[in-house]
Amino acid sequence: MAEEKVDVLIIGSGHSGGMAAKVLTEKGISCLMLNAGPVADVHKDTEMKPAYALPFRGFKQPGQLPHVFQSNEFNANTWVDEKEVPYTYDPQHPYNWVRVRLFGGRSLFWSRQSFRLSDYEFKGKSHDGFGDDWPISLADVAQYYSRVEAIFRVRGRAEGLPQYPDGNFVVDDSPWPTSMQRFITAGKQLGVPVCKARSSMGVDGLASSVNLLLPDAFATGKLRAIPNVVVRELSVDKNTGLVNEAHFVDRLSRREMSVKARVVVLAAGTLESTRLLLNSKLANSSGVMGHYLMDQVYGPGIVCSVPEARDGKATPELIGGYALIPRFRNIDTKAKNFIRGYALNVHSNIGPMDPRNFATYGEDLQKKLDSYHGSGFGTSIMAEVLARYENHVSIDKNVTDAWSIPVLNIQTKYTDNEFNMSRDAVDTSIAMAEAAGFEVLSKNYDPNPPGYSIHELGTCRMGDNPKTSVLNKWNQSHDIKNLFVVDASSFVSAGWQNPTMTIVTLAMRASEYLAEQMRQGNV
Amino acid sequence: MQRRDFVKAIVAASMSAKAMLGQQTSAPVAPSTPPPTPTAPGPVPWMRGLTEVKPLPMTPLVPDAVAQTNAHFFNDQQRATLRRLSEILLPPLKSYPGATDAGTPEFLDFLIGISPADRQQMYQSGLDRLNAEAKQRFGIPFASVNASQADQLIRPWLKTWMTDHPPTEPYAHFINVAHSDIRTATINSQAWSEAAKTEGQRASDQGLYWFPVDPDIHRENLTPATCRPAPHKRHS
Repeated sequence: MAEEKVDVLIIGSGHSGGMAAKVLTEKGISCLMLNAGPVADVHKDTEMKPAYALPFRGFKQPGQLPHVFQSNEFNANTWVDEKEVPYTYDPQHPYNWVRVRLFGGRSLFWSRQSFRLSDYEFKGKSHDGFGDDWPISLADVAQYYSRVEAIFRVRGRAEGLPQYPDGNFVVDDSPWPTSMQRFITAGKQLGVPVCKARSSMGVDGLASSVNLLLPDAFATGKLRAIPNVVVRELSVDKNTGLVNEAHFVDRLSRREMSVKARVVVLAAGTLESTRLLLNSKLANSSGVMGHYLMDQVYGPGIVCSVPEARDGKATPELIGGYALIPRFRNIDTKAKNFIRGYALNVHSNIGPMDPRNFATYGEDLQKKLDSYHGSGFGTSIMAEVLARYENHVSIDKNVTDAWSIPVLNIQTKYTDNEFNMSRDAVDTSIAMAEAAGFEVLSKNYDPNPPGYSIHELGTCRMGDNPKTSVLNKWNQSHDIKNLFVVDASSFVSAGWQNPTMTIVTLAMRASEYLAEQMRQGNV
Repeated sequence: MQRRDFVKAIVAASMSAKAMLGQQTSAPVAPSTPPPTPTAPGPVPWMRGLTEVKPLPMTPLVPDAVAQTNAHFFNDQQRATLRRLSEILLPPLKSYPGATDAGTPEFLDFLIGISPADRQQMYQSGLDRLNAEAKQRFGIPFASVNASQADQLIRPWLKTWMTDHPPTEPYAHFINVAHSDIRTATINSQAWSEAAKTEGQRASDQGLYWFPVDPDIHRENLTPATCRPAPHKRHS
């Protein structure tokens, strides 16, 4: 039997695990990565097919993946099946837990929106009194953001807005289509800034752990990886209190195994990392582990048509492209019925319109689809969900997954702050669209269920006080100094921003700190 | 045989052939040699030659091309109502097939028949109400209404809506979701795809299909989560 003790055990292979592996191995530290799912090979595992050749004609298999609204019959096999890895919740308050266990995790599939948090997020309490400040500020992490932006090749434009911090961009100086210019003008009248979107270009169209981070780690010769192993529990040395072993089960054979490690870096994704720690009964002297679950509100928005683009007159000069309205509420003014704020994605599409934008059918509907083709313009919300103690996860001892590992019970719901924000976002969008001369076709005020954004955040939050936080400002457990959690479970507030850049930035910062601590012999 | 299964068979064949070649040598057998692989009861190994075979020059046929779906979930009246609703909501347009040409009512009978109970109930009660309203307003079943009568029954309930947020009122929910389902089942049909090709349109229904990636070999044995016993596999 192997008696090897690995230097650093990294659990998870997505953006955060990938960055930890890259940083640590490039500093000469040997790492072993465990991943719960298999390695996907697009050449072997996919094929172009017409919908009619699929078993359910492109409809989702009935009863499958009920909480993964993003799934369809083409991609159904990429998501975690909740029959295999269930979770429980109050039926009145469902949660959409959207997971990928393929090697590379959810970094394989993301929308590439790449934002920095601002001090309106890091220091939110100082600004409006709600919640807690992070133990770090933008100044503490700016240099790490810059390096991450260089790796991910973030395309964007400097806007000079404190709530939308500028970064190390591949400069986007593309001209605006005229429909977007009209929307910008309408925004100016209402005090709403319309900015260039920011997104990762990556390499060859992909901005994943598997092409931007892990190849560098493997190239050092210091990274080994085991796919298809599901970590059940971590255990500690009874004498030192340090974590020293991971117990896992082979996903396919169900063989139970263990590996010893000097340091453990958890990067399994917010809720899986927390689930593992709760199941291991570790690192929770504060009692706040599992609490302050956040995400972002998605769903509300509008769809409109640009009249001048109808009836075959759409051109790339008129229609197309993306813009971003960063948070603008509660910056210099105070909104009447909510704190914090939301951003809006603005998109314009020269392609076909969704028939659901027309309350008609048959030949009349077809005429509408023909006429409106290429004239689409819309907004969709990304709104901050407040960090509340009562939104939490715990272990449900009565239910286990396919490997007999106890599952999470997720208790979370939105409140008036999120609902009022959503209403304001839609009403503001309509006012801007009408001022720009667009026809509003459809609107939605109702948030998707919590979790839909795939941006679960918090539950192992960081802080300076070990009594009120799980991790310190270096993503290191207050209780167990050789345990680091580098995914988004460390977040103290959610912000409106896609969290990926912040996750990767904090993972880089934490891993460099860990490497230095190991060099000094402190860990 | 699906391409993936075929690949697996070939891989298995090649491994099996190598294993058997190993048995035929007269070299000294190491003490750690595993038990011999079972062989076929004849002189020729079962999977010999498969690695050399060329793919058949065939394009697999989708059964809809030649066969009808046997509808059996909805009752006769509901099925007739769904058929008329499909004709009305998506008739043949230009050179494209209508919903009934694409076998949509029968396909939806199949799909709803294997769906969760709430979706089945939504369809059944919706179709029943549509038929009852036709009888009440015009004294005939919905299956017999003309286009104008159908319009009076359907149009007041049509709403605009955004993805994942259909109307919440149950009957409006049915009308709008059924409309969307009828369109999807028709536009994703082979008949529609063929029409698009004839028109010189790029097929819009092509997508990147993911096969199961290393599927869990125990997956079929999974019991519903709530029935599973508490774990006993603790380490500490």
